[in-house]
Amino acid sequence: MAELALSEVHGRRTGGRRLRPTLWWLVTPAILFFVLFFLIPIASLFAISFDKGAQGVITFQGNLTLDNFARIFTRSLYYEAVWRSVWLGATVSVLCLIIGYPLAFVIARTLRPGAALLLTILVLASMQLDMVIRLYGMMVLMGDNGLINTALMKVGLISAPLPLMYNSFGVIVGLVQVTLPFMILSLVGAIKSINPSLEEAARSLGSTRWHAMRTVTWPLSLPGVYAGTLLVFALAISSYVVPALMGGWKVVTLPIHIYQQIAEVGRWQFGAAIGVVLFGTSLLAMAVYILALRRQAGGRM
Amino acid sequence: MSDIRLDQLTHSYGETRAVDNVSLSIAEGEFYSLLGPSGCGKSTTLRMIAGFVTPTSGRILIGGGDVTRLPPERRDIGIVFQNYAIFPHMSVAENIAFGLRLRKVPRAEIDTAVEGALAQVGLSGFGDRYQRNLSGGQQQRVALARVLVTKPRILLLDEPLSALDKALREEMKFWIKDLQQTLGITTIYVTHDQDEALTMSDRIGVMRAGRIEQSGTPREIYEEPASLFVTTFIGQSNVLDATYAGAEGPRAAAMVEGRALSAELSHALPRGSAAKLVIRPENVLMGPEAADRNLTQLPATVIGESYQGAMVRYRLRLGSQELVAERQNQAHLARWRPGETVTVGWDPGRARLLPAD
Repeated sequence: MAELALSEVHGRRTGGRRLRPTLWWLVTPAILFFVLFFLIPIASLFAISFDKGAQGVITFQGNLTLDNFARIFTRSLYYEAVWRSVWLGATVSVLCLIIGYPLAFVIARTLRPGAALLLTILVLASMQLDMVIRLYGMMVLMGDNGLINTALMKVGLISAPLPLMYNSFGVIVGLVQVTLPFMILSLVGAIKSINPSLEEAARSLGSTRWHAMRTVTWPLSLPGVYAGTLLVFALAISSYVVPALMGGWKVVTLPIHIYQQIAEVGRWQFGAAIGVVLFGTSLLAMAVYILALRRQAGGRM
Repeated sequence: MSDIRLDQLTHSYGETRAVDNVSLSIAEGEFYSLLGPSGCGKSTTLRMIAGFVTPTSGRILIGGGDVTRLPPERRDIGIVFQNYAIFPHMSVAENIAFGLRLRKVPRAEIDTAVEGALAQVGLSGFGDRYQRNLSGGQQQRVALARVLVTKPRILLLDEPLSALDKALREEMKFWIKDLQQTLGITTIYVTHDQDEALTMSDRIGVMRAGRIEQSGTPREIYEEPASLFVTTFIGQSNVLDATYAGAEGPRAAAMVEGRALSAELSHALPRGSAAKLVIRPENVLMGPEAADRNLTQLPATVIGESYQGAMVRYRLRLGSQELVAERQNQAHLARWRPGETVTVGWDPGRARLLPAD
């Protein structure tokens, strides 16, 4: 169901028509680009993660070892970061779902198309500004001398600034801000594809608005829920900028470790190994999620 | 006693009035059709009765109680949609049980009721199927079963046959009508298909531009149309330019192509005003059939003939105007070729004089 979910959000699967050989040249540039700038770098990082540590060396030497991985899983500094990343990703996914669902419902079901368009533009507009600029904006708001703390102290509600930033709270707020549009767009697509007559049928059979939402709209929007939560989870768990800026290096996630190892210590082999663990963790978490959903759906999906 | 009453019901989208001051009374057990072209307001009217659209003004009464402000779930109505709206994530049995569960009916009773409903619509054994494994006609039956099992006071049908192919549509027409009569449930049927409306309804309301142009039995609508719109929308009509020349006994005298013809008149018209004389093609007789002196008789020229199996259609020239006659294709009846002249005639009681639109 969840795999299907992703494809459904991005439009119905087209019948598998064979690509004619004469059309292959149309996809060649994209494939070349993908191989050169994605597959090769990722493969080489994967390779050097099994290489013996050597400061400043960035190419594969062939000194095969599992030391880098052993280090990650024996030192609490690193394996706690794995857990922290997963926990942050899961929390952000759930928060995005809770905040995003009502808005997505309104956008998908609002009566006037103009109002829906306006809301969609607002959602997309928040994605137009560069993430770093948006995060600096949030720092202005949430810092010790930021707008929230200054205002609360002026009113006299608090005497010392609340710790809104440079902790998990700040990172979670930042990640939700960055990933929420992806959740909303996934959900809007899914809710829009539900025939409104279904909700009306439920109403005329005796459902209240809330009951119809719970028994008809929600279960039928699950493909979008799955797609949105998986997307947000993947984005959150791999985010470097948000934990760096909003966590102030105090909330150390896997991407922070990767950056430190590669950019500051120059140990590409160990940084690459953390990268492989991050990738593996992300895949594993998604697999667990999908399997749990399958079990819960009891084979119906 | 009227079961549904619409009292000056109006719905405006901004400047346009989708439904304009509609008043209507529907008796208990009656099958009433709202018939009209798309955009005439028939669906909006139905959706207001169902509670999905709030009227701008006016009242809706069901069984004497004012439901205008009640939400859909408290109106005691059942509705079948054009696309059937079967819940795709529930089995057929769960779909049918949906309304009963809401009413807190005990589990065992629900199971019996679902079996009964499936049997009633001829789908016994389909309980475990899902919507994706059902044909259009089967979905239609499930949608009806799901509604009827809750025993609503009013049944609303929103173009329920328009998504089916022609053969199935014919079959379902009679099936739905039979079911409705067996249950004696007050029904409002929205359609743009005149055949459906004429075959199924006790009464029809023909709608145009948000208003009910005429409300009456199928026979009244077809044979005594109140306006040019009704007579051209339901079936086909010849519409001849005429001038009202005054009363002539119970009928009206109309000048058509320089001849005084008599026709039924149900509107007050000023003498000398422009009007239209309408006559259905099947009522236009030709040659020997038109020989009776009690008929309106006119000389005409055949300008076209088209063979339609059971019927032959003739295009006729009558002075400066054209007329279509539809005659049975039977061995004993004469046939005419284009260019031939022929006497046409009709029973003046079948012709109507209507005000020009």
